[in-house]
Amino acid sequence: MEALAQPLAAYTALAALGVVVFGALLTATRLRAGWTPYRTWLVMLPIIFGALWLGIWAWALLVTILSIYGFKEFARATGLYRERLFVLVVYAAMVAANLAGYFGRFGLFMVVPVWTVGALTLVPIIRNRTEGMLQGFALSVVGIVYFGWFLAHLTYLAIWTGGLGLVLYIVLATQLNDVIAFLFGKLLGRRHWTVLSPNKTVEGSLGALAFSIAFAFVNWPLAFPELPWWGALGLGVIVGAGGQIGDLTLANFKRNVGIKDFGNLLPGHGGVLDRLNSLTLVAPVALHFVRFFFDGFP
Amino acid sequence: MSFEYRPMPDLGLPLRERLGQYPREPDLTIDALRTAARWIVVGLVKLQFPTEVRGSLPAGERIALVANHQSHLDSLVVLAALSERRRREIACLAAKDYFFERLPIALGGSLFAMAVSFDRTKYTELRRWSRILRDQQRGCLLVFPSGSRRRSEAHDAILFVLAKSGWTIVPVAIAGTAAAWPVGAALPRPFRRVRLTFGAPLSDVPTRDLAAALGEFWKANL
Repeated sequence: MEALAQPLAAYTALAALGVVVFGALLTATRLRAGWTPYRTWLVMLPIIFGALWLGIWAWALLVTILSIYGFKEFARATGLYRERLFVLVVYAAMVAANLAGYFGRFGLFMVVPVWTVGALTLVPIIRNRTEGMLQGFALSVVGIVYFGWFLAHLTYLAIWTGGLGLVLYIVLATQLNDVIAFLFGKLLGRRHWTVLSPNKTVEGSLGALAFSIAFAFVNWPLAFPELPWWGALGLGVIVGAGGQIGDLTLANFKRNVGIKDFGNLLPGHGGVLDRLNSLTLVAPVALHFVRFFFDGFP
Repeated sequence: MSFEYRPMPDLGLPLRERLGQYPREPDLTIDALRTAARWIVVGLVKLQFPTEVRGSLPAGERIALVANHQSHLDSLVVLAALSERRRREIACLAAKDYFFERLPIALGGSLFAMAVSFDRTKYTELRRWSRILRDQQRGCLLVFPSGSRRRSEAHDAILFVLAKSGWTIVPVAIAGTAAAWPVGAALPRPFRRVRLTFGAPLSDVPTRDLAAALGEFWKANL
């Protein structure tokens, strides 16, 4: 029972169990298409849990690297990558956001986007050029706010005394939410509801939302026992709905740019952003929900 | 109003292929690593192999250094002899089947030896390079037309493409590297003397005689 009091140990054991069960399922069902993403998970899970076991500094470093790499994928896909100065400003701001989160400087953490937008306004002046600068500026603002600052909330979450359980729950629940939405859609999906991602179905989305709410209550005693029942319900809704909205947001970005995946770093998944699409939106909403209603953060 | 997105041309390519592409697409991470690797290599070569440089590299925007090939050290010695500006832009044509089939070797070749991929097994490769070279307005290429460290004669095809694309062909003779890092040896043998001779551009030599002219230049300077 003591292990249950430590969410990291319990989640590590659950993840290891999940790997074994899922591997057995793949073998039993002979579902060949599942092996590539499964093998990628075999690499990703040790990296995620390894960073958490090493400490908050390693977690902050991992979040920073993922933010920078994710933004790099976005910048390469949109062509922003040709504007090195914009990209460098966003990289620097991502490091700053995670440092502010790591040191628990909430005020500084909250104004990172303000300072970054201020710094970005200088780029066209320094380059002394107007062509393409509005687009570069706008994409950089999206980059720092959506991929940098939003993801840095994962670092800030981890420094709270009870935050580790919340981090683990959010990371695993958003990933599971994607899988469940896909499975419900495949099995029961009839009615398509959005042009942003034409394969999404009403049944799949509602099924994932219901699952996420149930999953939040299952995780409640382990990941965030300090919260009342409606706190668990709120987190379930945030993961279930926010995860899918995040997914659609990135799908919208990809359709605008005209690409299928943001990259190919993660075989079977696509790029880093294709994997982080739900987490990007869920992390800040979950943090501010818990902070606003329960004032649990320093 | 709508934004016009121009994804990077190498979007979706695996890293191994991105490392070998020419012209190189800008990449902050790879460019920074390449700069660091280049400084390390140049420092090590200068420290370990006393190099005598004869002749001077002609100025120009599109230069192909065409050298004899005896050792893995060849490209590194040439790199160390160039100016930093040339080092930044140089690309060394390297066999895809040897250097760009596995990621660790591709990383080593691209970062330390500035290698770019040339697929010698595809007959359309020369046509592709011909297009690239015609479009490229500036650059510096290092070419080993013998294609292998075990052969000494120049192959005509790549020379023909270079000449027809309007690149200035500069013959380079490398001597001493065979002893400094013999074929088959895992590591170089430091403190061997190396000599590098830059010849005059072969601009007035007819295309069909280029291979012979190069052969004579190499023989005279070894």
